[in-house]
Amino acid sequence: MKALILKDTYVIWKQMRYFLVMILLFSALPSGFNNAFAVIYTSMLPYTALAYDERSKWDQLAAMMPYSARDIVLGKYVFGWLCIGAAAVLSGLLQAALSLVIDRAFLPGVMALSVLGALCILALSLPLMFRLGVERGRLGMFLIIFLICGGAGAVASIVENMNNGTVFASLGPVLVIMLLAAVLLNAVSVPLSMRFYAKRQG
Amino acid sequence: MNAIELSHINKSFGDFAIRDLNLTVPSGTICGLVGENGAGKSTTIRLLMGALQPDSGTAAVLGTDVSSPEFREVKEDVGVVLDEAYFPESLNAMQVGKIMAATYRRWDQKLYDGYLKRFDLPEKKQFKDFSRGMRMKLAITVALSHQPKLLVLDEATAGLDPIVRDEVLDIFNEFTREEDHSILISSHILSDLEKLCDYIAFIHKGDLLFCEEKDRLLEQYGIFEDSRENLDCLQPEAIVAREETRYGGVRALIKRDLAPAGFQLEKPSVEDIVLFLVKGAKNR
Repeated sequence: MKALILKDTYVIWKQMRYFLVMILLFSALPSGFNNAFAVIYTSMLPYTALAYDERSKWDQLAAMMPYSARDIVLGKYVFGWLCIGAAAVLSGLLQAALSLVIDRAFLPGVMALSVLGALCILALSLPLMFRLGVERGRLGMFLIIFLICGGAGAVASIVENMNNGTVFASLGPVLVIMLLAAVLLNAVSVPLSMRFYAKRQG
Repeated sequence: MNAIELSHINKSFGDFAIRDLNLTVPSGTICGLVGENGAGKSTTIRLLMGALQPDSGTAAVLGTDVSSPEFREVKEDVGVVLDEAYFPESLNAMQVGKIMAATYRRWDQKLYDGYLKRFDLPEKKQFKDFSRGMRMKLAITVALSHQPKLLVLDEATAGLDPIVRDEVLDIFNEFTREEDHSILISSHILSDLEKLCDYIAFIHKGDLLFCEEKDRLLEQYGIFEDSRENLDCLQPEAIVAREETRYGGVRALIKRDLAPAGFQLEKPSVEDIVLFLVKGAKNR
C-alpha cells in the first residue's frame, strides 16, 4: 500500500502545490467557514488521483502487480486521511500563529469539526467513485459536499439563534456526533468500495 | 514444473468468448501467443494473471492457482508488459523506480538504472512526453528489474524500432538462460516470435487452435508453390489453405504427412503457417 500512496503523491504533486496555497489562503481568512473549507477541500485529492489512474488505465497494470484489491482501495482512503491530516496541521499552525500576531481567536473545535466533515465527505463519496468512475461520480461528490457544508451551515445558524449568537456553546455534542458519524461512515465505506471495485474489475 | 497451466478455461463476454482454452508453457521455455486483433490474446493474459475470473476452468502460474490468495506472492516472480505501459502520465522514470522499489521485495535499483541507461531513457522527463517506443522500453525495464522468473509480454515489442527490438529480443533470450526462467509473449511480429520462441500457440476467435513446439510445427507443414493442376493431385485433406499468386499459379500450406513422398515442398515460416491457418479457418 505504501507504493500506491507514494504513486498518488507523485501523481498529484503539482496539484498539491496549488492545494497548499489554497489551504493557507483559506486558513488565513478571518472566517470559521473559510477555515473549515481549507481542510474540507483536501478531501478531493483522492479523486484527482483516481482521475489520473483512470486516464492512464493504471488499474490494468496494477492488476498484474502484487497489489491486492484491498491495497488499491484502502490506499485511496489512507491517502485521503493523510491529506486531510496534513491540511489540518498546516491550517491549525497558521491559524494559531495568526492568533498570536493579530487579534483573532483560534478555534480548535472548528478545526476538529472540519476534519470530521472532510472524513465524512471522503467516506460518502469514494464508494461512488469506485462504483461509477470519477467522471460520473464527481457529480455525486459535489452534491455530498454541498449537502454536508450546507447542512453544517444551517445547523450552525439554528444553534446560533438558540444560543443568543454563540455557535460554539454546543460544539461538544456536535463534535461527538460528527466523530461517531466519521468512524461509522468510514467503517462502512471501505468494504463497500472494495465490493464496487471488485465488481468494476469483473 | 510448468510455468503456465491453463486448463479448460471458458470466459464469455456476450459477443466474444474464450472456449475450453488449454495452454501449458513448460518452465524454461519461451512460448509465443499469436492471433489476430481481438482473437483473445490479451484476455488470455488477463485470465492467467488473475485479473479476470474465468466462468469455468483453472489457471496456475509457477505452480500456484491464480485464484488462491497465495498468487499475490507469486506475482513478485512475474514481470508483465501490457500492450501499453499504463503508467500515470505525470510520473517520470525516477519516480516509477521508487514506486516499484516499494512494490517489489526483490526490486534491483542498480539493474533498473542500468536498463534506463542501456535504453537511453531520461530519468526526469515526464511519461506523457515519452514516445511509444520509450514508454514500452520503460515498461520492459520495470518488468525485468524485480528479478522475475516468468515474463508475460503482451505486444511488448510493438512500436520499437528494429534496432531496439533486436536488442530487446536479445535481452529476452538472455533472460531464459536461467533454466527456471520462462516467457509468454504475444506479438503480431511473427518473425520476432520465430527468432525467439520454443513453442507457438495460435488463438483464433477465442479458440486455441494449437500449441506446438516451433520446430515440430515447421516440420509438420510445407509450402507448395506451383500450378493448380499439380496441387489438385494431392488429397484435399493435405491442403490447409491456398491462395492465387500474381503469376497465375497457386501457393498453399500443405500437411507434409499427407503429401506423397518426394512431393516438392518448401520450408515455411511461422508467419506462412499462421496466415494460411487463419485463411483456412475463415474459409471453413
